[in-house]
Amino acid sequence: MQTILVVDDELGAIEVVATALEDEGYRVLSAANGRHGLEKLAEGQVDLAVIDFMMPLLDGAGLGRAMQADPAFKNIPIIMMSAVGETVVRERFDGYTAFLRKPFRIAALIDTVRRVLA
Amino acid sequence: MTKPDDPVPALARLPSGISGLDDILRGGFLEGGVYILQGSPGAGKTVLANEICFRHASSGGRAAYVTLLAEMHTRLLQHLRPMAFFNESVIPESLYYVSAFHTLEGDGLKGLIDVLRREIKGQRADLLVVDGLVAAQESAPSDREFKKFINELQAHASASGCTVLLLTSGLLRQVSAEHTMVDGVFELEDQLFEFRTERSLIVRKFRGSGFLRGRHSFRITDEGVKFFPRVEAVFASASQPDVLSDVKISVGIPGIDKMLLGGLPEGTTTGLIGPSGIGKTTFGLHFLSNSSAAEPGLMFGFFETPARLCLKAKHLGLHMGDAVERGDVELLWQPQRESVLDELAHRLVGAVRKRRVKRLFIDGLGGFLESATSPQRVSRFFSCLTNELRALGATTVFTMEVAEITGPVVKVPSTGLSALLENMVFMRFVERGSSLSRFVSVHKVRDSGHDPSLREFYITDHGVQVGEAFSGVEGVTTGVAREPASAAANPPSGSSEV
Repeated sequence: MQTILVVDDELGAIEVVATALEDEGYRVLSAANGRHGLEKLAEGQVDLAVIDFMMPLLDGAGLGRAMQADPAFKNIPIIMMSAVGETVVRERFDGYTAFLRKPFRIAALIDTVRRVLA
Repeated sequence: MTKPDDPVPALARLPSGISGLDDILRGGFLEGGVYILQGSPGAGKTVLANEICFRHASSGGRAAYVTLLAEMHTRLLQHLRPMAFFNESVIPESLYYVSAFHTLEGDGLKGLIDVLRREIKGQRADLLVVDGLVAAQESAPSDREFKKFINELQAHASASGCTVLLLTSGLLRQVSAEHTMVDGVFELEDQLFEFRTERSLIVRKFRGSGFLRGRHSFRITDEGVKFFPRVEAVFASASQPDVLSDVKISVGIPGIDKMLLGGLPEGTTTGLIGPSGIGKTTFGLHFLSNSSAAEPGLMFGFFETPARLCLKAKHLGLHMGDAVERGDVELLWQPQRESVLDELAHRLVGAVRKRRVKRLFIDGLGGFLESATSPQRVSRFFSCLTNELRALGATTVFTMEVAEITGPVVKVPSTGLSALLENMVFMRFVERGSSLSRFVSVHKVRDSGHDPSLREFYITDHGVQVGEAFSGVEGVTTGVAREPASAAANPPSGSSEV
């Protein structure tokens, strides 16, 4: 079973994304900000990180950069999601594999996850 | 480096950037202050706070918007996107949205204050919004702990010069610990008046500054939030000193100018009172037709569109369209809708200020009265409004419609208003034989004599023409003239009614 880490500061967003991924048979870990995300990554094998861009304490760009700087996490693909456009996000961090503009449909999430993990 | 005896500098302001709100707050929030913005769901707190953030960020400031148990950011931004103030380019660099609910759930108020402190520092924010304060209050183990949280937040805000807005849907009438501690409390309401609603703001508390007390209306449109400071508060003192003048202003109808011994005294307010169809708007078009670049005119009307007014003027032989094109006259039409009384007044005063209007025709008073949700305000409202118009140098003519077509009784639409009018001109119908005639009379003119006679007038394709005084008849003001057939006034030759 593949494990996906979902990092988002909004409880509702985590619930929706995590439930959808669990329904597809993935194991899901969740964290409320970048700092918690790093702690979760350290706990075990993660195959994919779905990360929100704007978060308190450590944002999505900060988390992405921290992952790239750590040999243990640098090969984990990242799906970045945000309510702001990709151009703005890419200016701050471009090391992600796919981008999802919020709001998105569950089908778009599942398609993107499958494509990235294929 | 400051010396011990240096005076303490006055607190700087953080303008809200919201139309009208900074007038109410006499310049904006105080930097580093903590303010509660409260109101029931739908009162407008979130839109207002977001607009303040967007305007702040768009003008070079930095803001952080922290939600607790509130609307999801994605949804929130979707709702804000159509509004004129929405500016995606400021997100996330100058305006940052985060949720701290997880932290509150996991680490309580201590964790929350840590997140807020770090967001102020990390985002270099000089404006912080916390949306959903009630969630923090509910998670506090005691009132004392919540007070400590507010106190700590105040300390951080003050030390960092970051102004904080706390949004809560808590009970409006409930005075709790946080109300006593914060620097200001703003209450938003959305009140129902029979079938219509009207939004309003009451500033309950605003430490360290004067402010306009009482209730102020506001409106939320696609343009954003717009406040209309209550006329009685904002114009309690006229913006300029009253300049007395002996100059008379022609009304554009020679016969009526003659009755007024030269015209209306400059800078006064005149009530033009009469039933529907008597010719009040026609009178106003004559008044405006004498406008010029030196004496700009404004029609503030509720009933007829500018196109219709121009056509009507043309039928009277008046070239209103040309005057509008030259910029000598502006026709400002207020479509009949659920208007806010103070909004109308601010629009009017703004238009008068913008063009330094000298000839102002308001058609009519009923448009204002229908917008008043509190009839007891009307008299004082008009008193302050007319004071301001006078101070701005406008000579104002209001039409006031009365219900009675003929008859001995004329009821002025609102009690107390007639005392505010410096000049009063009545236009009425009188029944003579089998037809109705029109007559005009001047009842008072400020500091001036006038012709007290009742004169018949005619609306012709050359404009209004005033006839001779009624003579040899009685009972004209009862609506039914008793006169010998030989004494009937003859219309001027060549005239025809339009």
